[in-house]
Amino acid sequence: MRSPRSRLEIALRICAFGVIGWMFGQSLRPNAGVRVEHARAAQVSAQLPAWTRQSSNVALHVDLDAAPDAWIVDWLAALRHSGHAMTWSGSPPALALAADAVAGPFGSVHVAVAGPDGAMIHLRDDAGPLDSVRVSTMGATVTTPGVSGDLVAIAGAQRARIHSPDSVQTRAVVVIGDAGWEGKFVAAALEERGWPVIAHFAVAPSVAVSQGVLLPLDTSRVAAVIAVDTAVQAVASSLEAYVRSGGGLVIAGPAGSSPALATLRAGTSSARFTPTALPGDTIALGATGFYPVASLVPGSIPLERRGPKGDIAVAARRVGAGRVIQIGYDDSWRWRMTGGASAEAAHRVWWSRVVASVAYAPGPAPRADEGTAPVANLVARLGPARAARSVPFASRTVDQKILMTIALLLLLGEWASRRLRGLR
Amino acid sequence: MSAEFVFATAQYESGDWDSAPLLPANIIDTIARYTEIPVAPTGVIVPLSDARLFRYPLVYLTGHLPVRFSDAERTNVRAFVDRGGLLFVDDHNHDIDGTFHKTATEEIARTVAPLTELPNDHPLYSAFFKFDGPPTTSHELNGWGDNLVHKHLLAVQRRGRISVLYSNKDYSSEWNYHPDNKRFLSVDNTRFAVNLVVYALTA
Repeated sequence: MRSPRSRLEIALRICAFGVIGWMFGQSLRPNAGVRVEHARAAQVSAQLPAWTRQSSNVALHVDLDAAPDAWIVDWLAALRHSGHAMTWSGSPPALALAADAVAGPFGSVHVAVAGPDGAMIHLRDDAGPLDSVRVSTMGATVTTPGVSGDLVAIAGAQRARIHSPDSVQTRAVVVIGDAGWEGKFVAAALEERGWPVIAHFAVAPSVAVSQGVLLPLDTSRVAAVIAVDTAVQAVASSLEAYVRSGGGLVIAGPAGSSPALATLRAGTSSARFTPTALPGDTIALGATGFYPVASLVPGSIPLERRGPKGDIAVAARRVGAGRVIQIGYDDSWRWRMTGGASAEAAHRVWWSRVVASVAYAPGPAPRADEGTAPVANLVARLGPARAARSVPFASRTVDQKILMTIALLLLLGEWASRRLRGLR
Repeated sequence: MSAEFVFATAQYESGDWDSAPLLPANIIDTIARYTEIPVAPTGVIVPLSDARLFRYPLVYLTGHLPVRFSDAERTNVRAFVDRGGLLFVDDHNHDIDGTFHKTATEEIARTVAPLTELPNDHPLYSAFFKFDGPPTTSHELNGWGDNLVHKHLLAVQRRGRISVLYSNKDYSSEWNYHPDNKRFLSVDNTRFAVNLVVYALTA
């Protein structure tokens, strides 16, 4: 006749092996038994509190036609980390948004959006609609005069949001060259667009007409230098250090052949190309010819080609921390004076953009938060889209630990009882 | 098309636009003499109503007779100054009661804007040579015209730059001689033309 204590030990052993056997059986069962709770995109925010109270044995799945707001993704990620199996499905349009303040007096903002090819993207800020663009080869760019509050890109149901960048401080632009129409009208165009201009035009040996203080060239006060021609030699000694420290440089027309710019230019300046122009032709930029940029130095990229042989008219490169753009055009003033009805305004805008593209404009680094690329953020936080059942049930690991602990405690109790009464 | 400066004389339908035929060559000589500005050896005559006007951002206009622009001239001149051109008008009569002055100032007001006095410390007067104001000409007190020494030039300014410069000083007579005759002058009386050209090319 077994004692009650012996029967208890047998019971403990049976329970321990029972638990181990149940665990083994569970591990062999398919996942069909896991309960999955579904929610559509519109229901997710309302569902989150209830899901938070759910046992971690419940798998959660969301059908999305657009990436939800960042706080919802954060919440879902928190649920995932708390042991819920979290999956999502759907194909929200991948949208990404970036915005940089344009260096210049107008506080413009350069907006770059990436999205599905051919998608129509609407841009708006807190004040209302700004613009719309159709995506071509995965991206599109827009320069908008200003942004109030947050900038939002909308493609179908998908939204991307970014804080508007802080405007940058506008520094002066140095225009240096021989006295002539090109330098005069470049300076005039920039001034008319609101740039502070320091002009320096050589008139005669040792005689120059200056507007503003030319030297020292320093990024603390000069955003960019425009070399209209070889007269840039006058600042050769300090120009390279200025550019390498972050200053912008525009090399225009014949300035590309100046020895002072040999280490800074994007390429050599070739013989001037002069197309045939009839007296009645409307003059546009470059219509009267340009200096092709040839023999690009490593790191230079051609930005514009023209002429029958596809000569490079504009090229750019980085030098140290600075940016250099080399423009083959030498008589853009003719475009302004003799061009079509809007040529004067176009000349102004074009030169302002050229300068803005290289101007030194320190500012806070653009903040890329989770709202700027919501689908990428969604994938980063919750993994790629997939069906609910294809995911291993993460909470099962926790349950098995508990069960294993119970089995061990049962076996330990049985063993301790036997040892305390002198059995092995 | 070259980048050199070309001295352009305006031809208009009314009046005697070619009343100072020796002036262009004299001014071209002066520019070449004092500066390194590449300058075309000969000037051009450009009709105000012609699209070629826009090729020459500094244009000189003079005459004795009444000035009345045609519609085409008026349209062109308006666009010319809008785009940044500078029209230099000189009264060959140096007479504020003369027909040229009355009609030209009226026409400028109608086409561009009313003329106002240009301060004598304007950058024009220090663009190359230093002047305290518009240099006096020997013709102001020659018994013709109003016999006044005009203390100021008149101008229309846009965006801080001179668009139309108007003179009663009669520089057209003062500078209307063969360049070789400069050697007979103790002080070159065309030096102000250098300021005018340098200002036009740099301001």
